[in-house]
Amino acid sequence: MDLQNIQWKIHLADGYSADAHEWFKVFGTWIPDSPEVFVDVADYSHVQDGPVIFLSGHAVCYSLDAVGKRLGLLYERRQPAAEGSNPEKLNESLSSLLKHAAMLESDATFKNKPKFVAGDLKFIVNNRAIAPNNDATLAALKPELEALLNKVYGTGGYTLTREPDVKQRFIVHVKAKAPVTVTEALKKLG
Amino acid sequence: MSKQELYTSAAAKYWRDTLSDRLPSEWRKNVDEFEADITLKKMGKVDHKLFAETRLRMGAYGQRYDNGHRYDGKTVRDIPFPEEFKGPETYWDAPGMQRIKLPWGGLTPDQMDLFADLAEEYSDGICHITTRQAIQLHYIHIENCPSMYRRLGALGITTREACGNAVRNVSADPMTGVSPTEAFDVTPYAQAIFEFLLGHPDAQDFGRKFKIALSGDKEGSSGLVNIHDLGLIARIKDGKRGFEFYVGGGLGAVPYAAKLFSDFVSEEEILPLSQAVCRIYARHGEKKKRHRARIKFLIADLGFEKFRDMVIEERAKLPHDPRWTAYLKDLNKLDEKPSRPAGSGLKCTGDAAFDFWVKTNVKPQKQKGYVAVLVTLPLGDITSNQMRNLADICRKYINDTVRTVAEQNLLLRWVSENDVAALYAELKAVGLHLPGAESILDVTACPGTDTCKLGVSSSRGLAGEMRSRLYAKGAAIDPAIRDLRIKISGCFNSCSHHHIADIGFYGISRNVGGYVVPHFQMVLGGQFQNNGGAYGIGVGGIASKAVPAVVERLTGLYLESRNKDENFRTWVERTGKATIMQSLQDLLEVPAYEKDKSFYVDWGDVREYSVKDKGIGECAGEIVTLTDFGLKAADRELFDAQLRFEGGDATSAGSRAYRAMVLAAQGLLKGKDPDVPENADVVMERFTKEFHDTGVFNDPYAGPKFAQYYFQAHGHRGQGLDKDKTSLLLHEAQLFVEACHSCYARMSLTETKEAVA
Repeated sequence: MDLQNIQWKIHLADGYSADAHEWFKVFGTWIPDSPEVFVDVADYSHVQDGPVIFLSGHAVCYSLDAVGKRLGLLYERRQPAAEGSNPEKLNESLSSLLKHAAMLESDATFKNKPKFVAGDLKFIVNNRAIAPNNDATLAALKPELEALLNKVYGTGGYTLTREPDVKQRFIVHVKAKAPVTVTEALKKLG
Repeated sequence: MSKQELYTSAAAKYWRDTLSDRLPSEWRKNVDEFEADITLKKMGKVDHKLFAETRLRMGAYGQRYDNGHRYDGKTVRDIPFPEEFKGPETYWDAPGMQRIKLPWGGLTPDQMDLFADLAEEYSDGICHITTRQAIQLHYIHIENCPSMYRRLGALGITTREACGNAVRNVSADPMTGVSPTEAFDVTPYAQAIFEFLLGHPDAQDFGRKFKIALSGDKEGSSGLVNIHDLGLIARIKDGKRGFEFYVGGGLGAVPYAAKLFSDFVSEEEILPLSQAVCRIYARHGEKKKRHRARIKFLIADLGFEKFRDMVIEERAKLPHDPRWTAYLKDLNKLDEKPSRPAGSGLKCTGDAAFDFWVKTNVKPQKQKGYVAVLVTLPLGDITSNQMRNLADICRKYINDTVRTVAEQNLLLRWVSENDVAALYAELKAVGLHLPGAESILDVTACPGTDTCKLGVSSSRGLAGEMRSRLYAKGAAIDPAIRDLRIKISGCFNSCSHHHIADIGFYGISRNVGGYVVPHFQMVLGGQFQNNGGAYGIGVGGIASKAVPAVVERLTGLYLESRNKDENFRTWVERTGKATIMQSLQDLLEVPAYEKDKSFYVDWGDVREYSVKDKGIGECAGEIVTLTDFGLKAADRELFDAQLRFEGGDATSAGSRAYRAMVLAAQGLLKGKDPDVPENADVVMERFTKEFHDTGVFNDPYAGPKFAQYYFQAHGHRGQGLDKDKTSLLLHEAQLFVEACHSCYARMSLTETKEAVA
């Protein structure tokens, strides 16, 4: 499978209460200041179980996301089609997510500083055509995912569970067995 | 790998291979053609303007910042998109909006599941319900559109003509069929009009969009007939079904009330009469000045009596079409059935939140024991997971009986009264239990500066703020005020229907001390009821940040000074604009920039306000002639012929190359007569007479040479040729099609010179 439309979500620590306006402001500063092409920020804080603040970009979008009623930072690869091998794409996408999570953790705009749990991730292939949510997709991707996650959490240092709801996209829940910070995870990823 | 596959992804191929056979053939052809157009555009073979109108007719709009510029609060910065375009000043890779029309607002749980999937995979996980019962997805990439269209088509939804200068979504009162006060269910008639006019040749050459609405009754209806280009209100006369037939309504900057064309048009006559209206509009409507191109202006210019005479005369001349009445045999095809037994009355529970929700969100049906339940969607938005959850809830309590509502909500019909409490509990579990539907709490807003290229002020930002403040009061709001409606548009174009709100606003900007300040013009006293029965009166401009306080003051004044049972409109008229503005005077002053900078930043934004982000709207569509479309069809056919030839299918390549020549010739002829028939012999005969024999087609250097290729091909029609001869025909067809483009360009230049002279 040629992996495309990769998403990663890193969850925020339980009990973190996000001020949507602050997140809107921070994402807004990424538009002129980032080397990536970002277009605009949208506020969806009035709805539930979806994006809260969405930063639209050309190649990559980020959002403060509340899908599954759990807050986190969502990374989403869009256009153009990602190039390279699957391991390269996985490494690059997770690394981007973690770098941006680290940026958010140190952003002075936040009165209530976000704290991410690097051992609590969701991996999503946002493309039902190439990655139906079934065991065959998991079997196909598991070796490459494990190769990546072994680096971050150590072999056997985590669990992988496929989302059982067949109506959902292909989602893998990743839970580390021991606590890991964003900085540590980034360092181990290399 | 063919050229076309070079430009499509594995996912696009998967959906094409999996779903193409599940689409009606005409829809499949539309999507295949659009996909080919994308390929041709990427190869540089289609002009920006023509591609823009092509995608608009499939509902694929541009979105704010797609011109590659964005104001960041200090300066306008370039967004470095790759240098490729999908329309004039519209970058190919810039996120766009997809409008998906839903005739009469009909939606099934399976379709809801699909919308949830599409919003996740191609958009931002949000489905947005529009004020014309469509659904919009934002931040879409143009290259994902064909896959999206195939997935929608497989479940009975087409996006064709969701935008552009065409017949838009055919809307209808969402309560029709269950309304206690209507004459009869208009759903099958709305469906018949949609099917009949979709892609109809008489509805392809408009100067602007054309909106149609149907209503089951004149009063208390949300059908909004009065604000539509063509509107029908159900009526029974002497035991026979028919409609009051209206034309020429419309909002926009200057609203026009629809005029009664006939107080009774029988059900057998509504399609031919609608067709005749379309023909007159296409033939006589303004094409160059967009701001005068809606049918309301044509009627104003001609005079209503003359317009009506022309339509009646046109109707008399129309050749009979069996489709005019064929649908009447299946009038009950769309009848709905409940999935649960009728209930035995609604009971209050003593739970204040539930009882308030019942008061505002549950409507009686004419069918005893059943009610219709409004699901309030803040700002018309629902997330993918909510949509999917709601689909499952619908499966449990009702059948395929969901409708979108012009006030940006969803209506679940045929809920048993016995199930209302359980349904509420399930809606609450997924965050869809908001009360206040169709009340002052339920503020309607167009996308405004969030995503619309024309937005001046932040309609969604203001609406969000108003909602928060009003919901904080909730059930404590006086009932006289609770029933008022607030509608907010980001500009004068009235997409939120601000003209028919009790309290309406549209975005403007004002200069204060050298700074540009976001403002809203306030419009008071419009009427949503009675099919959009009355338009409001413009009262004055108010700084965006002052609007919530103004609404609070205004509603307070109304409560204090209204006569017993006096409605808001009557109160506005009696009180007068001057007195109202006088009483708001202290709220109208904008503090100096140095004193309060918050007035210089719009709601829902953090940047200092500017109008520099405003772009050129696409709502009007591009002015593209039937000749443009004909020549594009020829290009596409020829491209397909070449692909087939490359793939080793010379037989089919030959006939398609010839067909491309016919389409090009027909395209030229359509510039003179939109009714040119499809018959190849007739096209040849007329082309010879009107273009060849007159010398109009002659190339300045090659003379009639290219026409000769067409004449030769007409002899064999591309059939029975060997590979070499087919190859030759492909070259000749290319030259002929190019010559048609050149001829058209020469003709356009001559017209321009004449116009200048």
